[in-house]
Amino acid sequence: MAGGSRNHNGKDTTPVDQTNTDLHFISDITTKPHSFKQNPNRKPPPRRYKPVKQLISDEVKFLQTKNLAVDTPTYVSIVSPPSLRPSKNYCDITGLEGPYKNPANMLRFHNVEIYQEVIKNMPSGVDQEYLELRGANVILK
Amino acid sequence: MAPSKIKNEEEFPPQELHLLRDIIPPTAPEPFYENYREGVPIALDIGTSSFKVGLTSANTPNNVFDSVIARYRDRKALKTLTIVGNDVYRDYSLKSSTKTPFDGALVTNWDYLELMLDYSLEHLGVTSNNGKLNNPIIMTEPVGCPLSQRRGMYELLFEAYQAPKVAFGIDSLFSYYANSSGTSNGLVIGTGHESTHIIPVLNGRGVLSQTKRIDWGGDQSQHFLGKLLALKYPYFPSKLNYHHTTNLFRDFCYVSEDYQQELNHYLDMDVLETKDIVVQAPVDITVSTEKKKTEEELALQAQKRREQGKRLQEQAQQKRLEKLVQKREEFEYYSKFKEEFPNLKPEEISRRLESDGFDDIEDFNKYLTSLEKSLKNAAHDQGAEEEVAVDPSSAWPLVDIPDDQLTDEQVKEKRKQKLHKANYEARERTKELKREEEEKQAKYEAEQAEWRERDFDDWSTSKRLQLAELISKYKERAKLLESFKDRKSAAAQQRMKNIADLANDETGSTSAASRKRRRNATSTIDNDPNDTFGADDDDWSVYRDITNVSIEEQQVETNNQILSLEDELLKYDPNFHHEDTFAASQTFDWKNSVLHKFIHGPRQNITIAMQAEGIDPEEIANHPEIIKKNHQIHLNIERIRVPEILFRPHIAGLDQAGISEVSQDILTKHFDGIFSSGGQSHSIIQDIFITGGLANLPNFTSRVVNEFTAFLPIGAPLRVRKAQNPITDAWRGMQKWAQNEQDSQSSYITKQDYEEYGPEYIKEHGLGNVCIR
Repeated sequence: MAGGSRNHNGKDTTPVDQTNTDLHFISDITTKPHSFKQNPNRKPPPRRYKPVKQLISDEVKFLQTKNLAVDTPTYVSIVSPPSLRPSKNYCDITGLEGPYKNPANMLRFHNVEIYQEVIKNMPSGVDQEYLELRGANVILK
Repeated sequence: MAPSKIKNEEEFPPQELHLLRDIIPPTAPEPFYENYREGVPIALDIGTSSFKVGLTSANTPNNVFDSVIARYRDRKALKTLTIVGNDVYRDYSLKSSTKTPFDGALVTNWDYLELMLDYSLEHLGVTSNNGKLNNPIIMTEPVGCPLSQRRGMYELLFEAYQAPKVAFGIDSLFSYYANSSGTSNGLVIGTGHESTHIIPVLNGRGVLSQTKRIDWGGDQSQHFLGKLLALKYPYFPSKLNYHHTTNLFRDFCYVSEDYQQELNHYLDMDVLETKDIVVQAPVDITVSTEKKKTEEELALQAQKRREQGKRLQEQAQQKRLEKLVQKREEFEYYSKFKEEFPNLKPEEISRRLESDGFDDIEDFNKYLTSLEKSLKNAAHDQGAEEEVAVDPSSAWPLVDIPDDQLTDEQVKEKRKQKLHKANYEARERTKELKREEEEKQAKYEAEQAEWRERDFDDWSTSKRLQLAELISKYKERAKLLESFKDRKSAAAQQRMKNIADLANDETGSTSAASRKRRRNATSTIDNDPNDTFGADDDDWSVYRDITNVSIEEQQVETNNQILSLEDELLKYDPNFHHEDTFAASQTFDWKNSVLHKFIHGPRQNITIAMQAEGIDPEEIANHPEIIKKNHQIHLNIERIRVPEILFRPHIAGLDQAGISEVSQDILTKHFDGIFSSGGQSHSIIQDIFITGGLANLPNFTSRVVNEFTAFLPIGAPLRVRKAQNPITDAWRGMQKWAQNEQDSQSSYITKQDYEEYGPEYIKEHGLGNVCIR
């Protein structure tokens, strides 16, 4: 609190550039030396940060080294299993029921109007964007 | 047609407009906590969407802010600024550098997280005399927290802040704890920013072994909605950002109580009227400064232009006349000179010719003849060609006289007369043809009239039959033409074959070759080894011969026939109206168009209406109403389509079971499945608890009731409820838990424990993860 009020005073005396002063002041709250974080023995943390995919694969490797009971809840084991219920088909364009499928690009559609007006005149690539919504797009590697 | 459309339009009142909401910058700075005391546990609910932090001596979290951080280099001050949470939104320039420490549900940037914790603790007013954080910490972590996450957090808390003791728990369980006695049974549906968890609870303790996670949450929902809208309005003039889509999702999406039923009728006009949401993106309609010209001004301009044209014409005429006069004078002078030739000496002639600029006498003659010709032409032009009635018997006396009886002069004249005569005869012939046509028409009319008189019904039905036949023919040909556009269609393939055959025949293929071809019947047009089409460049000329022009011409002709038939029917058949015509059936009625209602809602697209009225396209594009309309989004099916993914993840291509299927699985297979009194499942279904941000979606609880009722036996005592405050109840649970020393005291991990047992170790306390050791 003491630090906060000191900064308030500092701000009052320098009303030059409002937004800039403001940002500097806000930033200082976070970046100033904190009285509650003074550990001279702290090792600097490693710089390299892994993306979430790698974190999960590391976790899988780590869990394999353990001899775990079958029902141990881990980050990877609690994922919802694939659905066993029959899935309904929906129109990719409108979201209405989609009983028909265009064999050329596998897009599902609601009726002939959607086919005539949208699917037939679709610029190339857009069909893949629609398919991507339900993860059915072709991924070239 | 047009007036009726306008009348229809007037029946509808304008739709209510909702403004597209962006983030609103906070007016007040993030508050500082005034009553900091050492030793009081600090609860940190560090969600991927927002941080809720506070000392547990208060009843509500002191600071709730978005989990964002912006690092910004101030070049003038040579300093990197670090702005956290809601403060990020106070300066527009920080927008592009805004980041989050999370990737999905997990922390990936520990630097950012540390800065955010510094910021949080500063705002809680934390101070210390010994360089350590002298408060116990209660913190949330993901369900089934990976080791790397917990290790990182331990390192931060014990090594950076040197906290005395730490406890970790699961946010949805804390939320349930806040809303229950702490010893009850239930099923927690925790909808988060990145994922949704379903956690059964027995005696107040989460049963983690039966917990399931659906990888779908609020962030995926808003992202999905954004993608849907980008595809629905590909030419939308302004880009929707994260806050736009999040606000749209929060404000207008709702869980459908019966998805299938609602979906089937969503685009019915009366339903759409109540459910279609129009969102207006901010748009600056500047009336163009260039004032529109009035009609008078336009007329004046046209008049001016006409006059100018006339003047130019007159000038040209004047010039022509002057030239003509000059030419005539020249001609007279030179012809006189020519007449003098016999009287002059050759030297004299050539001298005079040279002085006038001629090369020799030949050049002079040439010039003279050209002069004569142009003069003659001018005279011809001036004398208007008038159709003079001629008497064919006497007009051309020379035509029938043989050449040898005529002088040279007369032969020339005869040739001219012959030409005139032929012209005259041709004219007469066409006149005759016209007359015959008219007679035929009159006769046909009379016949038709007589037929109508005799048996009107027969006439009408036969005409209608004829019309139907023509229409079907027209449609068939239209289909054929359409299929030619697709190179792979059967019709196009057949046509190609025909073309190839034709080309082959034209190049004079021997019968042997064609027999050979026939033998190779299996070979297709693409791989026929005997196909030499294209070897000769002339082969390609066949394409010029076989175009689709003939079909198009036929189409036009059929259309004309249809029109004339319809004219007749309209004229004489009182039961045949304009609405019955082929053209009327082809016109577009937006109320029957799924696409139109999906994109433009329950109002006619005014662009189409204006085009129908024949307004200049440029004027349409600049019309303020149109510009406004172009900045509008209609939300209709998306409103239920996006939240539905929680119940049917396959809509978004997620191969996981939805909320109800997972719950059914848990209740019937993983517990005893006894829904009568005394059973485990029986007690669990009496408290289905929904928490997390998505719990705020309207109808969530009633949908869960519907879904559960579907698989539960009749009469099962189902009770579904929502957290009091789905967002902050997790923090309230942490606070309640911290104050209940009986529950919490033995659950902290001290720094000593951490150093002894390592980062894998936690104490199991019923609201947190299990210890994997």
